Amino acid sequence: MSTPGLRYPSNRKSIYDRHLSRSKGAELSRASFAYLFVEMIGYAQRRVTGIADLEKRLNAQGYPIGLRLLDLLLYRTASSSSSSSSSLSASGPRPTRILPLLQFITTTLWRHLFGRPADALERSAASAQEYMVTDNEPLVNSYVSVPREMSSLNCAAFVAGIIEGVCDGAGFATQEVTAHWAGGQAEGTGGGGEGGAAAENMWPGRTIFLIRFKEEVVEREDMLEKAGR
Amino acid sequence: MVIYSFYIFDRHSECIYTKKWSQRPTSASTKSLRPQSGSSFTSGDGAASGRKALSKEDDAKLIFGTVFSLRNMVNRIGGDDNTFLSYRTGEYKLHYYETPTRMKFVMLTDTKTNNLRIVLHQIWANLFVEFVVKNPLSPVEHPGGVGVANELFEMGLDSFIKSVFPS
Amino acid sequence: MYDFPLPCPYSRVVFALLVINKAGGLIYNREFHPGLTKLSSNDLLILAGTFHGVHAITRNINPAGAPQVPGGNNPNLPPNPMSYQPTGIEVLESSNFRLQCFQTVTGTKFLLLTEPQQPNVDTTMRRIYELYSDFVMKNPFYTVEMPIRCEKFDRSLDGFVKIKS
Repeated sequence: MSTPGLRYPSNRKSIYDRHLSRSKGAELSRASFAYLFVEMIGYAQRRVTGIADLEKRLNAQGYPIGLRLLDLLLYRTASSSSSSSSSLSASGPRPTRILPLLQFITTTLWRHLFGRPADALERSAASAQEYMVTDNEPLVNSYVSVPREMSSLNCAAFVAGIIEGVCDGAGFATQEVTAHWAGGQAEGTGGGGEGGAAAENMWPGRTIFLIRFKEEVVEREDMLEKAGR
Repeated sequence: MVIYSFYIFDRHSECIYTKKWSQRPTSASTKSLRPQSGSSFTSGDGAASGRKALSKEDDAKLIFGTVFSLRNMVNRIGGDDNTFLSYRTGEYKLHYYETPTRMKFVMLTDTKTNNLRIVLHQIWANLFVEFVVKNPLSPVEHPGGVGVANELFEMGLDSFIKSVFPS
Repeated sequence: MYDFPLPCPYSRVVFALLVINKAGGLIYNREFHPGLTKLSSNDLLILAGTFHGVHAITRNINPAGAPQVPGGNNPNLPPNPMSYQPTGIEVLESSNFRLQCFQTVTGTKFLLLTEPQQPNVDTTMRRIYELYSDFVMKNPFYTVEMPIRCEKFDRSLDGFVKIKS
């Protein structure tokens, strides 16, 4: 049989044998994640052509995590509320409208990943397809100092990938989800009214995740709105 | 407070006096202060029990190189009016005093000893100047340690160290 | 000589911090308070190299004889390479400043230049080492042994060393 080791712990219970709800609330060492993230970025940086390419690769690393987390978190929200105990609807309801989806992201997903909700959720004034999630101090960036020559790079592109995975998995196709420093982004989209220099000084790592849904998603949203559902 | 060794370097950066004290008495009855050697190069039975078993000359050269570099470094960082006093490692502490004539007095002790700058100054002023410099039979310079380890200086140093480091 | 206000007992006047890699190269230097001679970057490089060399020599000077190992020479225990390591210079005192050296197990040296009567330098040093572990070693864009250019390290040092003094 299998010998105990990293993959098979001595009690023969691998992570797959555990109940899905059991590791809920379990926390991971921040330092372990930091070192893992160092290696992830090092890996993504190999033969990379530019900052945009690097962000794309980080995004791609986060995407599958988002897909899986959507399933896991929906399953857990259902089992914790335990309102519907019938085995058929073991999963919680999948968000079918944009706002519940974004709220799911900024609260449930954010709490699971970072232990706190996101700091702001806004709709872009410029485009109906665009929404912005703000994090004042992304956990993934807590130890990252970006070199000056790459100053536009935001390693939270990894988190953007997770968001993209959640949106896609829930049936809300996105054009892209990107992470931007709050400083450069404020003028670009014309959103973020309360932003300003004061908040930036207080939160130098303030990051805005720009979620750009595909047109058909917005069309569907409008139709559902008109149908009054 | 334990004293390990004492060195004098002249202005030509030559070691003109060395004295070592036995570090660890083998039995409790042995006196811990047991002079082992006299002048630097005249008496040769230096059973150096150092880890690297360095010869006495090598030891003195290492120590001189160290204090010389550190003195220059300290002056460069802290300005010309700054003086190097001591350093401490996990194993020992080195005390340093430089006379106006650029003689360097160095003493190695255990790490718990407080700064011995005053002690070194007293050795220079009360013993070296009195018994070596003022000795009419002693040469002006001391190449190879000539004329330093005379009887009065040795005796004076011995009793002075015993009064500073009561065992 | 001291043209800055004398500090109250719990303040920290830290003049400067230098970090030397295991090859003796200067990889970080930072001045927090004026008071010492302003050194050119070339001088600092020489200084780092000199200190590195002297530090190695001071480890070899061993007047106390064989070091006393706390557990004694227990044959049942495997030899531990760390416990026999002599430390080299830990504190250097001069009339105008005090230099505290902390060497990590991997050979990186932190030199902290403070006032001669500075209290709690050990605590300050430990905190700086923590900041280094966090914002330098966990930074994906830092290459080990290379000069440290990490904005967050700079900023956290400012927050810790400057504000408290």
